[in-house]
Amino acid sequence: MSCALALVLALGGTLTGCGGGEGGGSGGKVTLRFTWWGNPDRAARTEQAVKLFEKRHPDVDISTSFAGFDTYKAKLATQAAGGDAPDVMQLDYRQINQYATSGILLDLGKHPELRTTDIDKGLLATGVVDDKQYALPVARGAETMPYDAALWRKAGVPEPTINWTWDDWTAAMRKLKAAKKVTGGRVGSTDPGQSEDIFEIWLRGRGKTLYTDGGKLGFTADDLTRYWEFCTKLRKEGLVSSAEQTTQMDGSVENTPFGRLKSVSDFNWDAPSSGYEPIVGKGLKLAPLPAGDDGKPALYYKPSMFFGASAKTPHPKQAAQFIDFLLNDPAAGAILGATRGIPANDSIRDKVLPKLEGFDQVVSAYQKQFEGKLNDPPVAPPKGDASLQSTFSRDYDQVSYERLSPREAAENYITEAKAELRQ
Amino acid sequence: MTATATRPQDAAPPGARAKRAPKRERQGAAWVFLSPWVIGATVLTLLPMAVSLYLSFTDYDMFDAPQWVGLRNYTQMFTEDPRYWRSVTTTLTYVVIAVPVQLVLALAVAIALKSVKRGKGFYRSAFYAPSLLGASMSIALVWRAIFNDGGTVDNLLSGVGIDIGGWINKPGWAILSVALLTIWQFGAPMVIFLAGLQQIPAELYEAAAVDGASWWRQFRSITIPMLSPVLFFNLVLQMIQAFQVFTPAFAVSAGKGGPADSTLVYTLYLYDRGFTASHMGYASAMAWALLLAIGVVTAILFRTSRAWVFYANDNNEGAR
Repeated sequence: MSCALALVLALGGTLTGCGGGEGGGSGGKVTLRFTWWGNPDRAARTEQAVKLFEKRHPDVDISTSFAGFDTYKAKLATQAAGGDAPDVMQLDYRQINQYATSGILLDLGKHPELRTTDIDKGLLATGVVDDKQYALPVARGAETMPYDAALWRKAGVPEPTINWTWDDWTAAMRKLKAAKKVTGGRVGSTDPGQSEDIFEIWLRGRGKTLYTDGGKLGFTADDLTRYWEFCTKLRKEGLVSSAEQTTQMDGSVENTPFGRLKSVSDFNWDAPSSGYEPIVGKGLKLAPLPAGDDGKPALYYKPSMFFGASAKTPHPKQAAQFIDFLLNDPAAGAILGATRGIPANDSIRDKVLPKLEGFDQVVSAYQKQFEGKLNDPPVAPPKGDASLQSTFSRDYDQVSYERLSPREAAENYITEAKAELRQ
Repeated sequence: MTATATRPQDAAPPGARAKRAPKRERQGAAWVFLSPWVIGATVLTLLPMAVSLYLSFTDYDMFDAPQWVGLRNYTQMFTEDPRYWRSVTTTLTYVVIAVPVQLVLALAVAIALKSVKRGKGFYRSAFYAPSLLGASMSIALVWRAIFNDGGTVDNLLSGVGIDIGGWINKPGWAILSVALLTIWQFGAPMVIFLAGLQQIPAELYEAAAVDGASWWRQFRSITIPMLSPVLFFNLVLQMIQAFQVFTPAFAVSAGKGGPADSTLVYTLYLYDRGFTASHMGYASAMAWALLLAIGVVTAILFRTSRAWVFYANDNNEGAR
């Protein structure tokens, strides 16, 4: 008797807390969880598209959440490992291999609700692992140099061209420094030393790659030392942002030196560069990154992101319908524009995008100038590469705060990279 | 503490037993009442600890099954990872700054509050408030803004001619701003000190005053020895907490432990290894090394306590 009473008293409180909340069907309604990373602009547009989908499918409820890329990556990995991946998720190129081979992603090729006929064939293939379509490319992106063209002109610096080189770029930085009165003492650019993405473009300009076809490192400590010595020279000359400014970068546009109005240009992907516009104003333009010494653009088109569904979702049909809507529906295409990059869907790219205005046009025009001029994109990054981007900027932190020489830091990076890639 | 807690049970009058339910049934009821805690502790604490101990001997990336690697995580940690030792140094620096300063501040405020006649409750709450607010992420983010370049501290110091810039972007200063966030939350030790101060018999001070002892003399010869058990308790507690500092360092450095790893405290590096780099095995090994280190430091503190902690009620028992 007393035992039973005690049990009721003791457990009653805990148990009542557990009812409800389990995703699924209250009143026959299906709930899908959808997560992505991005900036507020992307969030606003995505919410709008989600509302339209819910209006058309009254039986489906989409609950959304988004975060910055670094946070998103860590959170998704934890959820996925715990068997609790969201029903529909936005994925990075670097995640596809790992997630597909670990049984986290649904084979979307098996769901006819999801049409792929209009998706760019080359891009579509980047979402295939072991002959299965685990993820669908959303858009393609390219690296760019967003800059304040108004200040640039006032300082008398010539506009960047499609085949300008790193020497031309350095010369432009010097002119900007000399025009102190116009720029208000801002430096020319963000220090490129902290970014693995920029290093990749710099490498490609010299005919090398981050990774070989076999998934090994495609460069040596000598290459990286040369790059970081180049950046260190720029930094010491006062042409690029100081260590104190560079270290504040956290993936958001607002915390870049350019976003904090401490520099006149920056490096970023083209679609997220829309975030600079409210800060910098209408003078914002996108320039190509410096080309190789042969004058050939070193840039490439990259699948900017993917959508995938969880292998464990109780509603695979609705998940496929939702992804189909985001990728193929013209109304959704008009809402989303180029917020994730230039759409991978050919007909949306050709018919919907030209009608859009504002920054979508800027991104569209930016990518158009490279049509047919770019070298092949590199192979997909090997497994283990995921954390190397942050290793790269962390090691450069040691260089910019002058705790390590470029050579020492480069050797550290190579050691760490080899350990991560298990080579 | 446990010794005093068990005493009343032993001292229960033997006559009372006959009227109660048989011993076995009473034990059953006790277990049932304990069950929420027992289940919670087993499922949420002991089991995960056992799993993490196992994982610390494996290579586990959260996606593929853990691979047994023996002691490799530990040897790598102690012999091949310069960042590991950087994080140890950073944490020790933090502990050595934050704990003593916080305790001194808490004691000073507690002594000041003891003699306050009016509005005691108000001051006590006001000084305790940071401890309630301080644990939140929002305060840590505000801290980041205050100590950034162009933030309040930067502007104030520039105003009086001290040009440091943003503390959080200077390797030497960043850890200080993290420590300050902890020091500012001195409420909990302060309240404990206050309680301890009120326990000291007033006759001692009266007698000392009659003998003409100065304030300082009274403080050294009465307050400190009588308060030493409380001081010891606060020291151990704050030290254990300080070794595990995470939130302020995470928020102030935007999760990176920068600039140049200067705020990369132990648990932040552990988080980085586990959740950013997906080396859960390595992170588990780090967690166990931390547990052992805290155990050792606490044991050392207990050892030294014999020399300086004074228990008024057992002076004739001597050292135990």
